[in-house]
Amino acid sequence: MTKPKFTIHSLVDLVWRGLRGTARMIRVAIPRLYGLALLLFICWLTFLSIRYLVRSLLVPSQTPEQIVGIPRRMEPELLTTERADWKAITAAETPRMPPAHYHRVDSWIDPDRFNDCSRSGCHGPLPHAKNKAVRAFLNMHATSIHCGVCHMETDDHPLRMTWYDLDTGSAQQPPAILTLYERLHDIKPDEKDADVLKQQHRELVALMQRTAKDMPEAKALRQLVEHFEAVRPGSRTYDRLLEETRAIIPRYFRGEYGAKLALKAEDGAPMLGHPDTTEAVAKFLAEGDQLALDDREQLLAKVHLLRRAQAYTCTECHRADASLVPLAQLGYPPARIEALSDPIVFEMIENIDAGRSFEMPQFLAPTSDD
Amino acid sequence: MILKTEVLQKRIRYLVRTLCTLAAPILRLRNVPALSLIALSFCVASAYADDPDNCLMCHQYRGLGRVDQETDEFKLYFVDPEYGHHAKGPHARLACTDCHVASEVSVVPHQPTTPVNCTQTCHLSDPGGLERIFSHEASARWLDDSAHSSEVLRQLNFTGGPLLHEGQSNCLYCHDEPLFRDPVAVIPEMSRLNERTFDRCDSCHSQSVPVDVRYYINHIASRLQPARGSLDMAQVCAVCHSDPLVNEQHDMSDAVASFVRSFHGKAALLGDNSTADCLSCHVMPGENAHLMLGPDNPNSSVNVAHVADSCRSVQCHPGADLQIASTAVHLDIPTAGGSAEFLLAAFFIIATLLTFGPAALLVLLDLVQIIIGRGHHDADEEKALARRVLATPEGRRKLTRFTVKQRVEHWLLAISFTLLVLTGFPMKFADRDWASALINMFGGLSLARHIHHWSGVVLIVGFAQHVVVVLLDFWRKWRTPRPDGTRPGAWQTWNDLPMWITVEDAKKTLHLLLYLLFLKKERPTFGRFSPTEKFEYLGVFWGTVLLGITGILLWGMQLSSQFFSGRALNLATIAHTYEAFLAVIHVGILHIYNVVFAPKVFPLSRATLSGETPVDKLAEEHSELVDEVASELGITKAAT
Repeated sequence: MTKPKFTIHSLVDLVWRGLRGTARMIRVAIPRLYGLALLLFICWLTFLSIRYLVRSLLVPSQTPEQIVGIPRRMEPELLTTERADWKAITAAETPRMPPAHYHRVDSWIDPDRFNDCSRSGCHGPLPHAKNKAVRAFLNMHATSIHCGVCHMETDDHPLRMTWYDLDTGSAQQPPAILTLYERLHDIKPDEKDADVLKQQHRELVALMQRTAKDMPEAKALRQLVEHFEAVRPGSRTYDRLLEETRAIIPRYFRGEYGAKLALKAEDGAPMLGHPDTTEAVAKFLAEGDQLALDDREQLLAKVHLLRRAQAYTCTECHRADASLVPLAQLGYPPARIEALSDPIVFEMIENIDAGRSFEMPQFLAPTSDD
Repeated sequence: MILKTEVLQKRIRYLVRTLCTLAAPILRLRNVPALSLIALSFCVASAYADDPDNCLMCHQYRGLGRVDQETDEFKLYFVDPEYGHHAKGPHARLACTDCHVASEVSVVPHQPTTPVNCTQTCHLSDPGGLERIFSHEASARWLDDSAHSSEVLRQLNFTGGPLLHEGQSNCLYCHDEPLFRDPVAVIPEMSRLNERTFDRCDSCHSQSVPVDVRYYINHIASRLQPARGSLDMAQVCAVCHSDPLVNEQHDMSDAVASFVRSFHGKAALLGDNSTADCLSCHVMPGENAHLMLGPDNPNSSVNVAHVADSCRSVQCHPGADLQIASTAVHLDIPTAGGSAEFLLAAFFIIATLLTFGPAALLVLLDLVQIIIGRGHHDADEEKALARRVLATPEGRRKLTRFTVKQRVEHWLLAISFTLLVLTGFPMKFADRDWASALINMFGGLSLARHIHHWSGVVLIVGFAQHVVVVLLDFWRKWRTPRPDGTRPGAWQTWNDLPMWITVEDAKKTLHLLLYLLFLKKERPTFGRFSPTEKFEYLGVFWGTVLLGITGILLWGMQLSSQFFSGRALNLATIAHTYEAFLAVIHVGILHIYNVVFAPKVFPLSRATLSGETPVDKLAEEHSELVDEVASELGITKAAT
């Protein structure tokens, strides 16, 4: 007997037959798989339909989430949820506030997605709770300043700082509102050159649009921008609007700029947490409660590698001379710097810092610069 | 009251028009149309000092707050500065110390020990410097005479503990910081006003004739409609009336849950603010909301003696008969066991299971045949015959199962049915997210309802036309003598109508079931129309009649109430909604499978467009028709 000879032709034939067999198999399999998918889909729809019918007859109705999906108490979970998480809030025209809280909170304190201290779950978005005199004031800064500014060790004086974008976590230029405020005050009232005016108008509109974008809740600001955009530079209406804008913009200095201040690392990036502490943080979150006091302290030291023993106090920043925060360098316009470091403000803050009661100074009106 | 509102509305319209005219030159600057500057609200900045105590210096910061570690409660001290700056609500002209004790809050850190007393006297001063004394004390007095007296409110126990802190005002159960509602719904012209429109007014009104025009217009225009939208009002009432503990304590059922099962509640969920909310029925027309009384009180708007008047108020169903009062607005079928409504719903559910169930079983078993590859025993032979017949023009014509007129009727039915489902089902499932999205796609509930009603009219007219054609066909056949000169009997003629289900059809269906269950080897063959198709066709007859009658009754509710009791309208609603559900699952699952997804017709049965049936389907399901036409044309199986 001779062995069958292996040739290229026989190989091609084998491959060809294999391919045809596979194609036949696919042709047979596809309708069957399709049929199976349809069968399952129809079974599922039928199940849903019958379940609905039975429930509609036997299960008493519940009030839907669009009505009761609303916070009933001011529980700390509100700080870690977003407005959109509450179905009744998004469904209503003017949603009901938790009964014990009279004032409206139409917009939410959005959690900082890039702040390692709070996103790790270790600290809440408003973490200061111990010192009764200052805790709310300190938390007030949490919407515009990263924890590290006051709590991380650094030898720099003034601090090396940068703004970071709350949407991306990366370093950014000063918020548009600061630049806008400065430009508004730079404008010469008797400017007549049409080209200069046009250029000025374009720049202001761009800055106002960016400001409005950073503050989505400020509807009135958006309207102002639209109107400002529509007026002819140099006209009387333009001058009037300019004046009004100068008065209105300071009202929006509320620390909500779509950006926050943080310490700046060597590479220029914002320092949004203690470096190389991921494992220690995970370990602390998993085992922290069970550890002995010493072990816990040791682990906490590993979690907070750059922690300052004593946080900076308010007046180290809110002062006219030798402030820790280089306000001008960070884009703050002179008028705003003055408001933040005014001697009266300094005195007031010193009182707050020291926990001393004092009467509110009635003559201050930092919400408007006129 | 109504008259006064209308007069006020007219005056405000006039004022708004005047303002729009005055503002037009500003709004037309650089050809930017005024409408492009439409504001979401036209609240405006004012020279009025809205924060004389300078509290906003700190309280404008959103983060001013803390977590109280003792009570584990989050304290938020933020006060939205826009509220005062832009006169967003009736309290916008109040200073903080009008409510909070000045001596307690002027010291930092504050020492607030006295909760705000909503009934204290406020000394409002208008822009002209005139002092006006105002108090909510009267409301508190009225409340004490109502079902919500301070005694009742004090004793409330809520699931999870108290909702208010010690000493807080009971007003907070229902009221939070009030906002002016967008008045555009009442005075559409107001959409043309924006923040800048009032600047011109200020030139005189801020100095010479001191009137805070913006605040005044906002306040009055906003009050031309209820202070809250329908859904918002349900949210307010749900704080207590959906709390299990409160309901248990007062032996009440969840009134808000049953409200959202009613048409009013569903409309509210779908964003319709013109629908009745809780106050529409529970407060006498023109009466104060603080005087709400329980149904047992003879003065209550929902007392048996008055409820009809509440329904028939001018804002609601003014033309309705007294009988409308027997409509169960808070009907929740599961808790109404044994009632006519419950029994009717149960009947429809059983009917659905008995009609949809077998049909679904046939489809599922058919799919099993596809999965295991079980084919028609002599399908190839039949296919060849069908191809031969289709090759001849006469054969092709005779195997075209649907005429042009029938196809047009089918598409008319399909389009109107689809529109009815798309606009009707969101009402049935109003609490689902997709429902509001769908209704918004149709431009809101009002427009969606118009589309629903008129699609129904198209369906009914199309159906009536079809019935007339069928009856004429029947008449013609009945009156036409047979070749032997005798006339067929009426029943025989009726039985011979192509879409009528006969005993033979029932036998064949049973045969098909047995075949699909592997209890018969031969698959039954059908003529021009299979029993499944006839069943679906007759389902449309039953469904259109029932849905049409109940739909018209509900559409013309005020007129219907002249002839039927409110209970009848409840029953009509149940019949309408359950029959619609049956139709949707039958069409949406089974019919769509048969004409779109079934492998023999995928991606769409040609019969719907050209009237022609694919060869595979002809050979497998309509081989009797193929054989009949083949024999007429002299084409035999052997010849193929």
